[in-house]
Amino acid sequence: MSVQEVPPPKFPASAPLTSRAPTEVIDRSCRWPVMVLVVLAAGWMLTAGLLSVLAAIKLHAPGMLAPHAWLTYGRLQPAAWNALVFGFASLAGLAAALWMTARLSGAPLRGGGFIVLGALVWHAGLKIGLLGILAGDATGFEGLELPPYASPLLLVGYLLMAPWALLTFARRAEPEAYVAQWHVLTALWVFPWVFAAAHLATTFLPLRGVLQAAAQAWYLQNLQLLWLGYLGLAALFYLAPKITGVAVPSRSLALFGFWVLTLFGSQAGMARYAGGPFPAWMTSVAAAAGALTLFGVGAVVLNGVGFARAVVGGWRESVVLRFAALAAGVFVLTGTLSALNALLGVREWTQFTLVTPGLDLLWIQGVAGLALLGALYYLVPRVMGLAWPRPGLARGHFYLAAAAVGVLGVAFLVGGWVHGAALREANLSFLGVIKRYLPFASTGTLAQLLWLLGAGLFALNLLGMLVQGFRRSAAPVWRAWRMPQPAEVKP
Amino acid sequence: MKHGPLLFLGVLSAVLASWLTAVVVPHFQIGNEVPILIEELGINYPLDRAGEAKQGAEIYRALGCNYCHTRQVRQAPLLADLTVTDLGPNAPAARAVVAALRRDLAGVDGSRLPEVLPQPLLKHVSYAAAEAARRRLTNAGARVELTFANLGADIARGWGPRRTVARDYLRDHPVLLGQVRFGPDLANLGVRETNAMRLYLKLYNARIEMPGSTMPRYPFLFEERRLRPGEAPSPEALRGFGFEPPAGVEIVAKPEARQLVAYLLSLKADALFYETFLPQPPAAAAPTSTNAAAAAPPPP
Repeated sequence: MSVQEVPPPKFPASAPLTSRAPTEVIDRSCRWPVMVLVVLAAGWMLTAGLLSVLAAIKLHAPGMLAPHAWLTYGRLQPAAWNALVFGFASLAGLAAALWMTARLSGAPLRGGGFIVLGALVWHAGLKIGLLGILAGDATGFEGLELPPYASPLLLVGYLLMAPWALLTFARRAEPEAYVAQWHVLTALWVFPWVFAAAHLATTFLPLRGVLQAAAQAWYLQNLQLLWLGYLGLAALFYLAPKITGVAVPSRSLALFGFWVLTLFGSQAGMARYAGGPFPAWMTSVAAAAGALTLFGVGAVVLNGVGFARAVVGGWRESVVLRFAALAAGVFVLTGTLSALNALLGVREWTQFTLVTPGLDLLWIQGVAGLALLGALYYLVPRVMGLAWPRPGLARGHFYLAAAAVGVLGVAFLVGGWVHGAALREANLSFLGVIKRYLPFASTGTLAQLLWLLGAGLFALNLLGMLVQGFRRSAAPVWRAWRMPQPAEVKP
Repeated sequence: MKHGPLLFLGVLSAVLASWLTAVVVPHFQIGNEVPILIEELGINYPLDRAGEAKQGAEIYRALGCNYCHTRQVRQAPLLADLTVTDLGPNAPAARAVVAALRRDLAGVDGSRLPEVLPQPLLKHVSYAAAEAARRRLTNAGARVELTFANLGADIARGWGPRRTVARDYLRDHPVLLGQVRFGPDLANLGVRETNAMRLYLKLYNARIEMPGSTMPRYPFLFEERRLRPGEAPSPEALRGFGFEPPAGVEIVAKPEARQLVAYLLSLKADALFYETFLPQPPAAAAPTSTNAAAAAPPPP
């Protein structure tokens, strides 16, 4: 474990330091807002894991818990997805984004109380929304299920939190922004109106007919790439130089990759409905844009190669580095496969198969999830000013999470091809199709179980640290209270 | 990057551009579609659903049926095969047309055209090309047969006579196209399944009729009523298709189940209009079972 040592930042110094606040001051300013977000994210990770395991089991054991309407697969699945995306990934991403912004700007985080309030509003909104989904109030659109009485709460919570990152950024010590900061700011900027526009277009002021589904596909793409993906990439671009001490090899290359992914990545959403009831040009545009995102992925690869040697060297000591390196690997794989999957010829095979949920989960759990877990393992000790109580649990979490993502990726991507081939065999009865894809789909249970166990280890470790932190701040109070008052001392 | 505003404007325009291509431009193209009058049938397609089916759509959404069932039939751009069955009375003229169509066989001057023509003459060509060739050959007196080469597995399975188009979903809100086929496509469930009892049993326990199915049971949509001794079960109680309720008990659909089944029976995307026009719809064997493929053995 190397979470204690803080190597000096080795970014290319572009401007002379003007008035960087001391690191301790920055970390102290982050303590309450960031830790509230981290604790909520850890709780949601457990909830999401539990719901995902249940949903995954129900896929191959449909009779289990069948008499309970609120536990049917069509409700558990969206509940698990929303808990994972808006509970775990988004809150962990916000925590990392706020802390990284403060650290990279060299300015204390502003608006602590508002951020805590916003986190609680978001949390309450998500809780209400999840109960609504389980009660049958989901909107029905995959990824946009939060009922109309819950989604505005999330937006309110978000608007209480995110602007403080911008206001902190505005007081940065150096005019030049770091690579990680572009990604953070883009993610923070894109999320609210993608979220609002998609909910408006599907639920509040619904568009006519299939345009609702088009808005949904657009939203899912931007949510996965420009929100969760960019939060993950920001964490990678922050952690890799910090831990290895190697600067990002090429800033211009990073800039190129950033704009390619932003410009073309956001266009590739309609590949989700290739061959669907839409004008054909829509999916063709998405396919072309998807193919072009390969250049963005390539730019990340070229920059990442510069870290390869340092990663090999630091693999043993730093669990954060392991999370980051694995997340980077999964990003390259998932980014490439998503680009290929947008091509119409490939889509004919992978449409309606396990590949679709497989790639979605790889983006959320593999790219954003792993990178943000690395960021949490890195930032929590600094923000709390304490070491992780059980470094072994962190290593265990890494292996469990890596195994979960590996199993998930292999099972759903390979299973997706088998599923697709079975669907194309017109003479195969649907029961035959089920028999072909079911072994792969059931493997999802194993993946989610591993992920849940890892989440449990993280929660335990975090709990230990919170207890330590509580002891540290409560001990003087306790001692003062226990000490006999001078008046009571009998002569 | 010293220019924060540049970053914001750049990202704003990138995402705005994607909103334009994904939603705004398509809105101008198909956003003003209205139900279309089909004169032969005297209906405005898509038909508005009856009240019970509309309530059923809410049940469909609330139970999340779309997480396992898509509601879209796919079909690649139409390709056709062209077969010459008979060269007709004016064989030299017909062979001249064939030579023009198949330069690869005939050579530049048509001298290498084989005596026995390949069957089919044109394979997997666009429908327009096949149709043009058919006209030329027919005008030359030959008899030809034009068949579709790639209707696709969805149509071959009997999931619909044609691909689904935007107009099919005009009456739906929310439009639940679905993304994964853990279960069969439902775009035309109401066409291939007309027996409500079968759907009730499927919802009650899909494994009664189809062991090995992974569809969840929905027992909460049904009511178990105890029968008084000698009392006959009500006519709408579940039975048949291999299902026998336990003695002294009848199982009756709750209103939610009735609404859901009414909705499922209303799922039809089979009307033909100009967007979906298939030149000569080949007579596809109508499958009898709901889920089984066309070639599945009939239930015993």
